[in-house]
Amino acid sequence: MGSIRVLTGNYAAAEAAALCRPDLISAYPITPQSSVVEHLSELVHNGELDAELVQVESEHSAMSVVQGAAAGGARTFTATSAQGLALMYEPYFRMSTLRLPMVMAIATREMTSPETIWSGQQDAISVRDAGWIQMFCDSNQEIVDMIIQGYMLSEHPQVCLPVNICYDGFYSSHLTCGVDMPTQEEVDAFLPPRSANHSALLDPRSPLALDPMTPGELLMNYRRNHLAAMQRALEVIEETDRKFAAAFGRSYGGLIEEYRCDDAELVLITLGGMTGAGKDAVDESRERGIRAGLIKLRFYRPFPAARLASALRGKRAFCVVDRSVCFGWNCGPMYVELRSALENCGSYARFSAIGGLGGADISVADMARVIDRLNDIKDRPGEYGTLWLMKDQEAEV
Amino acid sequence: MNYLDILKNSPDMVSPGISACQGCGGELVLRRVLQVAGENTIVAVPPGCMAGSGVVGWSHDSGMKIPVHIPLLDNTASFLSGLSHIYRRSGREDVNIVAIAGDGASADCGFQSLSGAAERGEHMLYVCYDNEGYMNTGYQRSSTTTEGSRTSTTPLGRRFSGKQQPQKYVPLIMSMHGAAYCATATPANMPDLIRKIQKGLAASKTGFAYLHVFSPCPTGWSFAPDRTIEVARRAVKSNMFPLWERDGDGWTLNYVNERPIPVSEFVEGIGKFSKLSERQLASIQRAADERYAAVSALASIQNRA
Repeated sequence: MGSIRVLTGNYAAAEAAALCRPDLISAYPITPQSSVVEHLSELVHNGELDAELVQVESEHSAMSVVQGAAAGGARTFTATSAQGLALMYEPYFRMSTLRLPMVMAIATREMTSPETIWSGQQDAISVRDAGWIQMFCDSNQEIVDMIIQGYMLSEHPQVCLPVNICYDGFYSSHLTCGVDMPTQEEVDAFLPPRSANHSALLDPRSPLALDPMTPGELLMNYRRNHLAAMQRALEVIEETDRKFAAAFGRSYGGLIEEYRCDDAELVLITLGGMTGAGKDAVDESRERGIRAGLIKLRFYRPFPAARLASALRGKRAFCVVDRSVCFGWNCGPMYVELRSALENCGSYARFSAIGGLGGADISVADMARVIDRLNDIKDRPGEYGTLWLMKDQEAEV
Repeated sequence: MNYLDILKNSPDMVSPGISACQGCGGELVLRRVLQVAGENTIVAVPPGCMAGSGVVGWSHDSGMKIPVHIPLLDNTASFLSGLSHIYRRSGREDVNIVAIAGDGASADCGFQSLSGAAERGEHMLYVCYDNEGYMNTGYQRSSTTTEGSRTSTTPLGRRFSGKQQPQKYVPLIMSMHGAAYCATATPANMPDLIRKIQKGLAASKTGFAYLHVFSPCPTGWSFAPDRTIEVARRAVKSNMFPLWERDGDGWTLNYVNERPIPVSEFVEGIGKFSKLSERQLASIQRAADERYAAVSALASIQNRA
């Protein structure tokens, strides 16, 4: 039985990572992630956490250090945001294509330019095709639980992929709330020891070349296996959610969370911290007799196409709210993905909404505006123009 | 033990059939370092001539008898930092952690990670084989290319002839990182090189050891393959590349050069220097003089103390 602690999202992430007994932590500070590294450094310096702590000169090196450690068979952790993620892209891509498991927290942040340090999901979304599993949280409790689940998923022999646990910079990283923190014994019982399913790739006792020049046919084989592992992860994610629920009594729905969807005609689709405002707006609209529901996408990679299609079956209208943009499509990126996931996309009235960029708020009123627009168009299937959730913006119906 | 006996009794860790050019200075360095390091070693060889020549391997085959990885061009020292921590953590400090990297991977885009690892005192031996450019991709300039050199990105043009900037003298910068061991070496001074490899490996058990090895490149520099050793020897004798080391006891000048040859003798017969201007030659001479004077002064500080 754990204890209730009042923690920021970053402290929750650091404490959860510590409970997973990483062999090595390497990170570089960046707003809004810095207090993750600070708190882990504090735990190591106070002797409360027995882990190698490598304080590097850049995020590029942070990802490289954990890569070297993982090639030596270690369980590792790091955290970053925005520009730091962009700087580490080179070893980041290689972490997944080397099929090295690890967990990295991303306190999501808008990408510069214009110069900004505030919230947004453009950073994590921009690297969605770098082969990592990407999961988005909307509460500090979920951050804790998903970092623990993240290691189980990442090291699962059928998966063997690195995992991002993403949460909104400032909104989640800096806000405090009560968190039911599992005990070390509980986490030890839940997570298999690292050595049980992984050994060092680079070891003089069994010499091999890690990543020699690889001809195209063989490389394609590696890629096909990587894609297959992503698809297997869809099931392992659901299974891990069930195992976690059995051990800790908390379930999140696995790939997606459905909120008041059973009899809903209109559905909001959200990602990360905006979900709370969305749920409030759904509740309010229900009081006004509008049958709205919400789907929180929890995993962006692998993309839960089948679960989403099934959850939307029989609904009349949906809107995907993105906290990032898709430059080539004049809409949000998750909207593009969802369209691809639906065979019968044309039978819905639908649109993309973009909001919350660069730290801007996505309020309950914004979400209510989305629901009202869905209610207006629900009898006329088709695609409607992108809605920008800005104070002075009129809906382009 | 005599260095010849050491080499005679140490098996080669690298596949015999690699595709390095005839007379390659880098290959000589790679083989000697790994011979001395032995089989209880993990080596990282980033993209460059050595990786390109097949020592990491091809398809399912390895180019070495020991574990080898090709890290990114710019993360060798960081990658090995993580690996080194894990070996120490698991009580296997006896495993040698070694990098064999070119000047591009060390002095240019890899410089940040190299500097970071040196500053943190990561336990490894980092060997830079400096052939003064990106030789395996067709000899583009690097920061360690000597001024006036013809490279494919500093051609002998009508307006600009050869590299316009002086060479970055990397080993002295590395020596200021508080590393456990820092030294220069060349394949022309084999007893000195072997001793420094041994010393570097020993130092890598307590901290960061850095070896900067002058590695002439017949193909890129345009000289006959049988002149590699001679070119390296002239680099030392002209003070283009002084031999020195810095360990826990301080600085030592390993080759006291009482009668240096002029750099004009060093550049002679090397095609990349064929169109040096008087001004460029004078500038190279000044750099060599300054380099030797600086290292001598550092060594004399040590002697006084």
